[in-house]
Amino acid sequence: MRLDLDAIKAICDRQGTSVTEMLREARVSRNAFYSLARKKMIVPRSIEVVAEHLGVPVSAILDEPVTPAERLEVLAREASRIAASNEDTDSDNLRHTLLLLDEKPVERLRRALRRGRQFNFR
Amino acid sequence: MADSLIFGNREAEFLKELVRQKVEFIIVGLSAAALQGAPVVTQDVDLWFRDLTEPGVAAALKKVRGSYIPPTADRPPMFAGEAVRLFDIVVHMHGLGEFDEEKDNIIKVRLGRFKVPVLKLERIIESKKATGREKDKLAIKVLTDALLAIREREGRGGGTTTARG
Repeated sequence: MRLDLDAIKAICDRQGTSVTEMLREARVSRNAFYSLARKKMIVPRSIEVVAEHLGVPVSAILDEPVTPAERLEVLAREASRIAASNEDTDSDNLRHTLLLLDEKPVERLRRALRRGRQFNFR
Repeated sequence: MADSLIFGNREAEFLKELVRQKVEFIIVGLSAAALQGAPVVTQDVDLWFRDLTEPGVAAALKKVRGSYIPPTADRPPMFAGEAVRLFDIVVHMHGLGEFDEEKDNIIKVRLGRFKVPVLKLERIIESKKATGREKDKLAIKVLTDALLAIREREGRGGGTTTARG
C-alpha cells in the first residue's frame, strides 16, 4: 500500500492547486511527504506483519470507508456521537455539515445558492 | 442546465479581481456560512466593503462589465451586470463592530486559484442574533450546530477544513 502520487496530483489539479501549495497549506513538510511517496509500503511494518500473519492484504485490516454509503454511515455515527455529548443539537444539522465539509467551498456555496434560488425565502 | 451555472467563472472572476486590486472586503451572511460548511440556503452573496469608493471596486466591476449604482433615499447601493447579479452590497452588519473592528475575524477560503476573506461563522451567528428577524432566528440553530460540527472535525483532524478547497 503506497501513496498514489499521480492521484494526488490529479486531485490537486481538480481543486485548482498544486501539490507544493497543498502541502504548504496543510502544513506538511515536503521532505516528509516525498519520503513517504517513495516508500513501497506506507503503513507501519507491524501492521504489515499482522496482515501477513493473517494471510490477508493490509487493506483488509484497515477501517477506511470506500463507498459513498459507508461514508454516509460513518458521518451519521460521527453526528450522533457529537449530538450525544451536546444537548439541544440536531444530529441532521451536524450530519449535513460534516457531509458538506467533504466538499470544496465553492461547491458548498453553489449548493446553497441553487436551493436558495429554487425557493424564495425572502 | 442553469443550475450548474450558479456561481461560475464570471462571478469568481469578479471576486478574484477584487482580491487582485487589494480591495478590502469580506464575504458575510449565509453565503459566508455556506462556504464554511453550514447547511444553509441563500439567494445572494453578501459583500461587505470597507470603502465602496476604493478605485479597486470600480476596476473589478469594469473587468467583468458590471457597474455600481449609488444608493438613493429608498434604495441601498447595488451592482448591475450579469457577472455581479449574485452579489449584494452590505453597508452595515447588525450586532457587529465597524469593518475595521471585524476585519480580523475572518478566514481565508480558497475558490480555485485564489482565496477570499470570509467572516467567521461565530461572528455570522452574532450578527443573526442581533437582527431579531424571524428567518434569522431559524438560521441560528443550523449555524450553531454547524459551528459545533466544524469545531469537532477540526479538533479531531487538527486542520483548517473550512479554509480548504
